[in-house]
Amino acid sequence: MTDPERDTRVSQHYRALGREEPPPGIDAAILAAARRRRSRWAVPVSIAAVVVLAVGVTLRVQMEERRGADEVVLSPQVMQTPPPAAAPARKAARDAAPLLQSEPARPEAKQEMRAMQAPAAPPVAVAPAEQAASGVAAGKISAAPQTPEQWLERIAELRKAGRDREADRSLAEFRKRYPDYRMSEAMRARVAPR
Amino acid sequence: MLAYRQGDTGAFETLYARHKGPLYRFVLRSVRERGLAEELYQEIWMKVIEARGRYTVQAKFTTWLYTIAHHRLTDHWRKRGLRAVDIADHDPPAPAADGPERRAQARQDLERLAAALAALPAAQREAFLLHEEGGMSVAEIAAATGVGEEAAKSRLRYALAKLREALDD
Repeated sequence: MTDPERDTRVSQHYRALGREEPPPGIDAAILAAARRRRSRWAVPVSIAAVVVLAVGVTLRVQMEERRGADEVVLSPQVMQTPPPAAAPARKAARDAAPLLQSEPARPEAKQEMRAMQAPAAPPVAVAPAEQAASGVAAGKISAAPQTPEQWLERIAELRKAGRDREADRSLAEFRKRYPDYRMSEAMRARVAPR
Repeated sequence: MLAYRQGDTGAFETLYARHKGPLYRFVLRSVRERGLAEELYQEIWMKVIEARGRYTVQAKFTTWLYTIAHHRLTDHWRKRGLRAVDIADHDPPAPAADGPERRAQARQDLERLAAALAALPAAQREAFLLHEEGGMSVAEIAAATGVGEEAAKSRLRYALAKLREALDD
């Protein structure tokens, strides 16, 4: 027995002690953990997205509160409903947005805003999808306070209203922003390009 | 392991299937309490999953796995204040059936071996289990336990000598 690594007799007896295996429940838990951690960045990225969204919502709420205190009543209905104006008016409203309290850039936008009784109405209310994407990307406070579901709902509304170009654009932004989002078949049918 | 690191979950399942029994028995025979062994065993695999980004080709997976296991067990012993060796309390399973006399003899052999294994100093038992269960060479045992090859070799040699002695009694 010169080789210290070899002792067949001990080995055989040791093996006869039993070949225990871990319980199946533990196997399952470990394998599930291995699958869960496959995508190392999935969790941090989604946490970051939630944080960005939460900050956006908080800032928006603060802005609303401040404005509410300054300017008395502002109908939520008016804030939520997209104005009936066509694309140029919305663009104007967006252009005017950074100026906020100052004069709107174009007459039609001015008129539209006056109609809404809110000169500083954030552009988010007009075109939530586009603003959400650009606002978050630029780290501006105009991040849309909406969940992916609300966003999709908005795209579905655009489709329903026959505003396909806007819906396409918004959907493209959505996919850029939430590349891993898995929408239901029903939702897909409602937002997908026709 | 490299395949799993790159996102191949199937590769992990293959590795797991290959190493689960030996690692489980390594832990079980080291701590000799089933509940505790299961807990430690699970923790070791969780560490493997967490640390997969640090796995490199240079290390053989077996050595890497048992290095993690060694660290976990060392932590455990440290927390318990390196408890004194005691006699195994588990029943060794009955060996293959032969004549009653032979069976009794074989059973005695196993009991003696189990007792001797339990009575080994932790480092010697670890060397023996890494060799038996992990199929590791002296050099690999040395790498996994962070000691020189001479130390690993003498631990294994002492362990085998004591176990042999137990069988010869």
